[in-house]
Amino acid sequence: MKFKSQQISYYFFSLSLLLLSLQLVYGLIMAFAHLGFDVLHNIIPFNVARATHNNLLLVWLLSGFMGAAYYIIPEEVNRELVSLPLAFLQFFALVVVGVTALLGFNFNWWEGRKFLEIPRILDYLVVVDVLLFLLLLGLTILKSKTRTTTSLILYFALFSTALLYLPGMIDTTNQTVDSFWRWWVVHLWVEGVWELILGSMLAFLLIKLTGVDREILEKWLYIIIGLTFLSGVLGTGHHYYWIGTPDYWLFVGGFFSSLEPLAFLGITIYSIFVYNKRVIEHPNRIALTWTIGCSILSFFGAGVLGFVHTLPIINIYTHGTLITAMHGHMAFWGAYAMIVFATISYTLPIITNNKFIYNNNISKYSFWAANIGIFGMVVFFGLAGIVQVYLERILDLDFFIVRDQISIFFLFIIMSALLFITGIASFIFAFIKSGLPKTTKFEKI
Amino acid sequence: MFSKSDSLKLFTVVTVASVIVFFLLSYDTLQKIPIQTNGKNITSEVIRGKHIWESNNCMGCHTIFGEGAYYAPDLTKVYTRRSENFIKIFLNDPNAMYPGKRKMVSYKFSDKEIEDLISFFKWCGEVDLNGFPAEPYLKKYTASFKSSNVKQPEMFEKLCLTCHTYQNRGVTVDPAPVLDNIGKLRSRDYLVKWLKDPKTIKSNSLMPKFPLADSTISEIVDFLVFDN
Repeated sequence: MKFKSQQISYYFFSLSLLLLSLQLVYGLIMAFAHLGFDVLHNIIPFNVARATHNNLLLVWLLSGFMGAAYYIIPEEVNRELVSLPLAFLQFFALVVVGVTALLGFNFNWWEGRKFLEIPRILDYLVVVDVLLFLLLLGLTILKSKTRTTTSLILYFALFSTALLYLPGMIDTTNQTVDSFWRWWVVHLWVEGVWELILGSMLAFLLIKLTGVDREILEKWLYIIIGLTFLSGVLGTGHHYYWIGTPDYWLFVGGFFSSLEPLAFLGITIYSIFVYNKRVIEHPNRIALTWTIGCSILSFFGAGVLGFVHTLPIINIYTHGTLITAMHGHMAFWGAYAMIVFATISYTLPIITNNKFIYNNNISKYSFWAANIGIFGMVVFFGLAGIVQVYLERILDLDFFIVRDQISIFFLFIIMSALLFITGIASFIFAFIKSGLPKTTKFEKI
Repeated sequence: MFSKSDSLKLFTVVTVASVIVFFLLSYDTLQKIPIQTNGKNITSEVIRGKHIWESNNCMGCHTIFGEGAYYAPDLTKVYTRRSENFIKIFLNDPNAMYPGKRKMVSYKFSDKEIEDLISFFKWCGEVDLNGFPAEPYLKKYTASFKSSNVKQPEMFEKLCLTCHTYQNRGVTVDPAPVLDNIGKLRSRDYLVKWLKDPKTIKSNSLMPKFPLADSTISEIVDFLVFDN
C-alpha cells in the first residue's frame, strides 16, 4: 500500500460485501414469493423485501465506489488522504444511515418511490454524509501537486452523483412530475455519471494491471465517456414514453438510447485492446479476469439487453414486465457489481499484504459460479418476461392466470441464484481469509 | 491521430450540447405535463391518495404507469377496469377476494382513505400515456362472448367475473364454479340468499360476503336466471 490512509477502503469493501449478502437473502424471499411460497408475508411482505433488495444494492454499490475512490484518489494524486479519522467518521455515518433506512422499511417508514424509498429526513443525512466524503477527497486533490485525468473524472463523477440526488427530493403533487424527477436521479446515475465512475475505475485498474501508457488509456477514456453522455443524457427519454410526458420523447428517447450500447461496446473494445497491448504480466490474474469480465458483461447486460426493449414499438409491450427485471439484473451486475469486485480483487492483496486470492481455485470458482449463476437467472427472467408479455399484453389474459403460468420460471431462477450465491460466498470467504489491513509499508506489487 | 486534448474537447462539446438540449426539453416537458395529465383535476383527494400510495410503498408490489414491481397487477386503469365499488370492497379486506392466491398487506384503510385512493386511481386512469398500455392485438381471436338478450349488469362484469367465468368470459379462480348454467341449477331465492351471504348456505365457502345493495343483487340474479 502506497499510503496509510488507503486502508479505509477495506472497511467500505467489507460493508459492501455484507450488504450484498443481505441483498441476496431478500432476493430469495421475493423469488420464493413469486413461486407461490410467500411464507414470510406477515413478517416481510413483498414490498418490504423489494425496497430492501433495491436499496441494499444502491448502498453496497455506493459503498464500493466510496471504497474505491478512497483507494484510487490518494494513489493517483500521490498524497495521503487529508484526514483518516474523518474518513472513518464518514464510514460509520454511512453505516448508521443505511441500517436505519433498512430497519425503517420494515416498519412502513419509507417513501414508496422505486429506488428512492429512503424517507426524506434520512435523505438529508445521506447528503451530509456524501458532502463529507466529497470534501475529504476534494481537499486531498486540491492539496496535491499531481492531478491525473483518472482521478479528476472519478471525482467529477462522484460529485455529479451527489448533485443528481437532489432532484429526487423535489416535492410533487402530480405522479407524472414525480416520476419525471425520479428518473433524473435513477437514470442519470446508472446510465450517466455512474458510467464515468465505471470508466475511471476501469482505467485505473487497466493502468495498474497491464502497464499500458496512461496517456493512451486516458485519451480513449474521454471518447468513451463522451459517448456515454451523448447517448445516456437524452436516453433518459426512454423513461418518458408512457408516464404522461410529451410524445417527442418517443423519438428522442428511442434514438439516443439506441446509441447506449455503443458506449458500452467502446468500453469492451477499449479493455480488450489495452489487455492485448499489455507490457507487464501482473501476478494478480483474478483482478484482471474481473476487470475484463466487467467490460464484456457491461456491454451484454446494460448495452445489449437494454437495447432489446428500448425502442418504443417494443417497449409499449414490455414496459412494466419481468423483461425489465432481466435487463436490470444483468446491467447492475455486469457494469457496477463486477467493477467493485474487480477493484476489491486488485486492492485486497495490497491492503492486507496477503496474496491468498492470487491464482487460487476459490477465486476462479467465485468468478465463474457467480457469472454462470447470474446468466442463468437472466435467461429465466427473460423467458418468464416473454411469456408474460405474450399472455398478459398480447392476449390480455388475467394477471393471476399469467402468474400461475410463469411461476415455474422462478424455480429455475432460484436454482441459478443458488449457484450465484456460492460464487459470492466463496469470494467473501477469500476476502475474509486475506485478513485485515496491514498498515506497514511493503514493496509495491 | 488526435491527441488527448482533442478528445477532451470532443467530450466537452458533446456533453455540454447534450445537457443543454436535455434541459430545454425538460423545461418544455414540465410546462406541458399539466395539460397532458389534466393537472386541473388534481384535487386534494388525489394528492392525499398519492400520499397514501407512496407512504405504503404500493409500488413495491404493483405498478402505476407501468412503473414499480411486478408482483401485483398494474393499477393505471384499475378505476375503469374494476370499478369504484370493486376497489372499495377489495381494499376493505384485500385477502377475501382471491383465496389461496398471493396476498396483499391488509392496511385497514378508513373509508376516507379508500375514497382518496380511488380519486388518485381515477386521475391516473385519465392521464394521456401516449398509447400505453397497448391494445392486446391477439385478443380478438380469444374472446368469444355470445351476445345475450338481457343486458349484462355492470357489477356482474366487474365483480363476479373476477373469479367466475360466464360464457367463456372472466377468470377462473379455483374453486369458483362456471356460472353458465347456475340460473337453471339454482332457484332465484337461493341465488339471492347466496349473494347476501354465501356462508348462510355453505359455511365453509371461500366466496366473500360482498356489501351489495338489494337492487344490485336482484339485477345480477335476474340476469343469471333469465339469460338461461
